[in-house]
Amino acid sequence: MPSLVQWPRRFNAIPKEILHREDVYRLELERIFYGKEWHPVAHRAEVPKPGDYKVATVGETSLLVVHGKDGAVRVFTNSCPHRGTMLKTEARGHSDLIQCPYHRWTFTPEGELRGAPGSEDFPADFRKEDYPLRQLRSAAVFGLVFVTFSPKTPDLDAYLGDCAPFVGKILGDDGRLELIGYQKVIFDCNWKVYNDNEGYHGPLLHTAFRLLNLRSGVGTQFMTQNAHKVNSTVLPAVENSGFLKDFSVIEGRDPRRPSAATIVSLFPMGQMAKHLDVINVRHAHPLSPERTEVHYAYFAHQDDDAALRAHRIRQASNLIGPSGFISLEDGAVFNRLQVGAHTGGAANYVKGVKGPLEGACTLDKGDEAGNLVRWVRYRKIMEFDRD
Amino acid sequence: MVLDQIDALQLEYLRALDRRDMAAWERCFGETASYVCTTAESEDQGLPVALMLDDSRQRIADRVGYVTKIWAGTFEDYRTRHFVQRLSCSARPGPRLDVESQFLVAYTTTRGQSELLATGVYRDEIVIDSAGARFASKKAVLDTAITPRYLVYPI
Repeated sequence: MPSLVQWPRRFNAIPKEILHREDVYRLELERIFYGKEWHPVAHRAEVPKPGDYKVATVGETSLLVVHGKDGAVRVFTNSCPHRGTMLKTEARGHSDLIQCPYHRWTFTPEGELRGAPGSEDFPADFRKEDYPLRQLRSAAVFGLVFVTFSPKTPDLDAYLGDCAPFVGKILGDDGRLELIGYQKVIFDCNWKVYNDNEGYHGPLLHTAFRLLNLRSGVGTQFMTQNAHKVNSTVLPAVENSGFLKDFSVIEGRDPRRPSAATIVSLFPMGQMAKHLDVINVRHAHPLSPERTEVHYAYFAHQDDDAALRAHRIRQASNLIGPSGFISLEDGAVFNRLQVGAHTGGAANYVKGVKGPLEGACTLDKGDEAGNLVRWVRYRKIMEFDRD
Repeated sequence: MVLDQIDALQLEYLRALDRRDMAAWERCFGETASYVCTTAESEDQGLPVALMLDDSRQRIADRVGYVTKIWAGTFEDYRTRHFVQRLSCSARPGPRLDVESQFLVAYTTTRGQSELLATGVYRDEIVIDSAGARFASKKAVLDTAITPRYLVYPI
């Protein structure tokens, strides 16, 4: 059978049609989102207490992340096993018992069916233990909970490989975080446009770096075997350029953690960053081939004193979100790339590109070459043949 | 008379935003002032991170600089139309008033499509002195938990 998309022969060219085609998107749902990949859905700090829940989305599937009475965080499909009704509609909440509004079936936070009214009319062999919430395979690193739809996905530690320590570095070294808020936005772009560009910041784009005197420091960029990208830079102390009247908002004040910019960009989708004192995990899911919803979740560390917590809140509200003063320009590029995707032909990757790359490799900071590693993995999973 | 001054300030504010005149936006605030743009979802969950958080007069001035200098020429521009309706007004000790209004903001892209950007309420603290009415604090609380595009301008 011919492949759905003919991939250009040139190793550094990406066919733009994959950024908007509905049939490609449908295949991605099956092969990638519901395939052998791990997807971050919540940090424990988003469901800190037993009975706390959060609604998350992977692909187009609504999920319920629930903190059980036994302390375990489980991931269920957000659907009653009886007739399939969506169980929770609020983004987050607390329920000692999860009840379906349709026929009042009631579940424990561990997913067991506790009560089903009118069961005297059910078939004689009906057993409550046969109707738990559908639980998905999940695992966590540094409190960040991942889910996969496939029993064949390798273990999370092996899947993340060398990027796991950097996930830890972003998540306060030990994952003992406190949720301080969200910023949620929709970008008019394909999920791959989002993920391909969110973790890669073209320095030319960011006037803020120049005006605010945010110099980049010594750093590394590398790709793991599974095409996760790590960017890690030690930031020199920011010197006041005089542009801001209130400079305190961009100071690094965490005495325990050096001022650094660390970004982990996961395959297939998932971004997390620590920039100055902002601790940020970005949960994203496609709404359609041309729209992507992103929830920026922000955290403080449980050991923060009141002053550091307050500093993180104001820095998180200003720095790297959808309206952040060193990140807003990114969103503009996402949307423009999407419009440009309809013009046919290929997108080309050139900066730092010296030859074909695949799997683990180290790159110079700011290189586009790492994105190609991700595209190779994507193409293989999708079974798109080269011309 | 007091209501006239409050309404004049509200009109000045929405006119500044709809004309994308950030200097005029800044002039709506008093000597000591704050501007916060957050969502009802965050407020309900007790989550303090906001979409925009300018907790001092200096930060309000700095926001003008982001829009007019740092971001200039990079973002896809859009026009807004703010529709604001006063819901309540109650006096505080001193020349201060708590005013709550509801808003609906439509936006139009450079490609000419108009859609709803956000709905919500303003919770304002307004100071009236000889120079007129100014915001001592202004908080825009969006019902719109997920905005349909990234916000460049304040709401």
